[in-house]
This record gives sequence, C-alpha cells and structure tokens, in this order.
Amino acid sequence: MPSVDGERNPFQPNLVRIASAHDETPDVQTLQLEFLDPEAARQFRWEPGQFAEYSVFGVGESVLTVANSPTRAQHVECTLRAIGKVTRAIGALSVGQVLGLRGPYGNCFPVAQWRERNLVFVGGGIGMAALRAPLQFVLDKRADYGEILVLNGARSVADLVYKDEMNEWQAVDGVRVVRTVDPGGEAEGWDGEVGLIPSIFERLGLAPDGRVVIVCGPPVMLHYMFLALEKMGFTPDQVVTTLESKMKCGLGLCGRCNIGRSFVCREGPVYTWAQVRSLPEDS
Amino acid sequence: MTGWRLAGPDLTRWLEDLLRAGTRVIAPVEEDGRRVFKAVDAAARVCLLPGKTRWSPKEFVFPKTEALFSYVVQAGGVRLHAASVDPTEQVLFGVRPCDAAGLARLDATFLGGETDPLYARRRELTTVVSLVCAEAEPECFCTAVGGSPAGEDGSDLQLLPLDGGWLVRPLTPKGERLAAPLSGWAANASDEEWEQARASVRRVEESIRHSAVAQEWAALLESSFDSPVWEALGRRCLGCSICTYVCPSCSCFDVNDSGTVECGERCRSWDSCTFALFTRQASGHNPRPTQASRYRQRVLHKFAYFPQQHEGRFMCVGCGRCVKMCPVGMDVQEAVRMAVAASRGSGDAER
Repeated sequence: MPSVDGERNPFQPNLVRIASAHDETPDVQTLQLEFLDPEAARQFRWEPGQFAEYSVFGVGESVLTVANSPTRAQHVECTLRAIGKVTRAIGALSVGQVLGLRGPYGNCFPVAQWRERNLVFVGGGIGMAALRAPLQFVLDKRADYGEILVLNGARSVADLVYKDEMNEWQAVDGVRVVRTVDPGGEAEGWDGEVGLIPSIFERLGLAPDGRVVIVCGPPVMLHYMFLALEKMGFTPDQVVTTLESKMKCGLGLCGRCNIGRSFVCREGPVYTWAQVRSLPEDS
Repeated sequence: MTGWRLAGPDLTRWLEDLLRAGTRVIAPVEEDGRRVFKAVDAAARVCLLPGKTRWSPKEFVFPKTEALFSYVVQAGGVRLHAASVDPTEQVLFGVRPCDAAGLARLDATFLGGETDPLYARRRELTTVVSLVCAEAEPECFCTAVGGSPAGEDGSDLQLLPLDGGWLVRPLTPKGERLAAPLSGWAANASDEEWEQARASVRRVEESIRHSAVAQEWAALLESSFDSPVWEALGRRCLGCSICTYVCPSCSCFDVNDSGTVECGERCRSWDSCTFALFTRQASGHNPRPTQASRYRQRVLHKFAYFPQQHEGRFMCVGCGRCVKMCPVGMDVQEAVRMAVAASRGSGDAER
C-alpha cells in the first residue's frame, strides 16, 4: 500500500502492465492494463465516466477517462491520442511494459437515471473515448434501456476510432450507429455520412421526447451541438457532456481544473448542459 | 487572560532551551539586508523587530518543491518508494498574524477535503508562534479581510510585544505544550500588562487605513466575470506570478517527474494561475487564453470562489506582499473594488 509515514499517499500510483495494445488510428491506441498487485486490482472499482491518472516514470502523468465499462472489468482500458509529452511516451511503450495508474477520480454518468429512456451518444474524434464506458454499460444491461443511437464523427475515415466495435454495436437489436467524417475526409468505399456532427445530428431530426443526449468532443463541436440541440427543442437537463480541463493532481488540491467555483476533477468531469450553462465561460 | 511575561533574556533562555531539546526553530533572521525565515542555531539570530519577512513562511509546511515518491525502473521491474517527512518537530517562531492566517488557509485547502498526507504530517510536526504587530507597514491590509494585527487564526501561541519584553499567550494545546517550561521560572503577566498590549494592538489597527472587503461581494465578483474591467486589469498584469510566490495562502502546484526514465522522483512544485501554461491543454486549447482571464481567476479564486466554499473566509490575509512586490503596481484590493463597482453598474470604484 503506497504510504507516507504509514498514511495513504494518494499521489503514489499502482503499477499496471500493458496486456494488449490496439491501434485505433495512426495516432490513437487503446491499451488494456492489468494490475501487478491483485489486491490493487480488487480495490480499483470505477463507474462509467470516471477518469484516472496514467503515468510513465521519468516523463509524467496524464489524465484519461477509463474507457471500458465496470461490467467488463478484466482490465482497465484507456484510449489515448499521442499528442502531448506523456501520451506520446505511453504510446511508445510496448506490451508488457509497466505504467503507473491511480484513481478512479471524478463523478460518473448517471446511468441509473437513464433507465427506460432512449439514448443518443454523440462523439467527436477522441471524445468518443469518454462515451465507450457508458455505451458498453448500457449495452451490457440492454433490457434496462430504450433505443440507442450512436453518432460518431472524425476528421477523416482514418481518424475514426473503435471501428470493429461499432460494427458489433450496430448488430445489437435497437442500436443504430451513424458515422460521419468531415468534408474531404472521406476515403474510397466510404458508405457513411459526410458532414460535421452538429449538422448530421440535425439532419437525423430526432424529437426531444424524453431522450438523453450524451455529447463528448472538442469545445468547438460542443458549442455547435448545443446550438443544434436548442434549435431542435432539447432541454438543458436532458443533455449530458464531459468537460476536459487540464488536471495535475486529480484530487481537488492542485488548483488548475476549476471552471468558476466547480472543480472538474471532483464535481466533474460529467456535467449536464444545464450545469454547463450556469458555469462561467472559462472552459 | 493568562500567560507569562518575558524580558529579553527570558525569551533567549526559552529559545535556547528549545534548541537544546532538538526542536527545529524557524524564525525571522536578517540576511544580506533582507528579513527571511530560516532555521536558527542560536536565539541571538532571531529578529523580532517590526516589519515582516520578504517571503511568507509557508514553504516550511508546503515546500517550493518536494518529492511525492521516488521510482527505480530496472529490468526486474519498477520499484516505488514512498516519500517521508523529516520527523523533527519544528516551531515557526515570530510569524506575523497574517502569515499564520495564511497557514489556516492552506489547512482549508490541504486538509479540508482530500487530506494531503505530506502537508498533514508537516503541519502535525509544526507549532506556530505568532508575533503580534507593534507597527503596521504601508502595504498591510489585514483588517480589510477579516484579520487583525493580533489575529489568532492559524496560531498556537501568541507573542505580544510590550515595552522591554513580551507577553506569551498559549492558544491551543500545542501552544500550551510549547510554553509549559515557562511555568517553572517565568513571571505571570499582570492585568495591566495585558491591557497595555491590547492598547498597542488598537493603535496598530487604527493605523491600517483600508476599508473592509465585504463578504457579500463574493456573489457580485462572480457576476463581474464578463465585465470589461478584467480586460483593463489584464492589460497591466505581466503574468510574472510574483504575487503568487509571495502569497501566504496561494496553494496551487504542478506535478512533474524529476530524473531519468531509470530513476528519479515525482515532485510537486509551486505553480501559478497567472502563467499561460497553467491551463493549456495538450491539444493547444487554453480555456484561459488571455492575461485578463488569468488575473481574473486569481482574484475570483481568492475573493469569490474560496469564500463561498469556506464560510466566507477570503483566500487573502492582507499581508500586502503582492501589492508591494508587483512590478507594475497592481493592487488586489483595488481590483476587487473595481470589479464590484462594475458589477453594481456604477462607474466609480468605491474606496
């Protein structure tokens, strides 16, 4: 047990080994991680939407969502784009190498409140990673939920993540998957949509009636998605998103992830659109 | 009130006894023309003259950089070693009441929610002896933010200046333990002496001419978020962060690895919300892209967000170091008043 003079040291990570690595796109990978200490594995219990701190010793730590559902808890999975110092270092590791992992942190998606309701998951780019855990969760408890629509987009066909899983999800009864790429991002044989996510969403013409819309993606996509949702009559409390502030400690101590009064690492990362609207424009 | 009266040689005796017992005594000393907190090896080094140190003593419970744990990566695997805190008991001696109040703010941050074990251990080993002010300095504004030249917040024991000596007043069990040896040989303080000390405090309080920052302003400040007043203030701020480094209550930190991929330490270091990199994400997106947005964060954290989460207490203790040290003469109180005035829709900042 990591400790400071006998007290639990929340900064000291557990050790995990890369059990498998799957290339999603040229710069995005999904890793399966297994704890070296079985007791640490038992203690690491998470809910869909929570995040963790992943680290390479000598390089640093990075915050990423736990990308798999606790209903599939054989491993902890993370999907990461090699874009910063730490994510590039993680991406350069091979199967069998050891990482630091601590968490889980933050709140989670209110999956219990979604029972019986129709769900729409809207994910842009690497934002799709934050939707994978709740999606797997509701698919594993399929009978508890209504119809499921997944709208996923990326800059180009090559940048789409979870390609194999999307096909599996599509095959489940009552699940529909719509994929789109930005204009110019299509490849030969592409049979999905072409267009930006907010306009494809509008074109789908969904009625708000009780649906829950879960939206994750870059800030500019969220901005236009909220405009589209408003135009279509969705209310701010039926829309859920995650906010991706820069974080260091994950514990509400280091002082950098706040948006107004709200510390994203503690009160987030999951917020309703209604909550987002009550926060200052600081994200 | 009960306590003891110490003449100069008595204070020396008390300090020398503490040093002999192996206690680390950290006190203001004059060094290269600056007053700074340092571990002392002799009572004669301690400077208890009016005025405050250049830096607050917060680094003795929240070091500028400290290891959280160390790591060794070898072919056989990764080994992590927990950080440990030097178990020597320490006395922060001669801390101004504003700086002691700063420690109480750090307590709220590091012990109020998730307990920070390194901070908690250091704090446990620390006894704070505050030194009531005999004079205010031009930048002082403790009375405007709920403090006093004789404030007790964060202090275990008070030292009150008196003509030719000091009164010693324990405030907590830790303070009583520290003062316990005095009962064997020091004189009890008389009612006249307590009154003399109180009169001195009143004089100092009256000399601090700053009107109060009202707790009710927190909500007004929050609603000043989109006011152009922050643009005007942000244009002046250089983003040098000296305000943060000298602040007794600023607690933000960075976490970084120091060493190689074979061995090293994961460390935390003081950081500042006024730096552009503080919130910049790996994608390049920065939620606080301008100095205005960063300066606003600093002021609102101290005077709006923190008070609303900590019973109305400001995350500012009025030491005035940020005002004194700012290279472009920015005044945090003035910024607060400007933002409140803007929020109320009146053009003039009330002074």
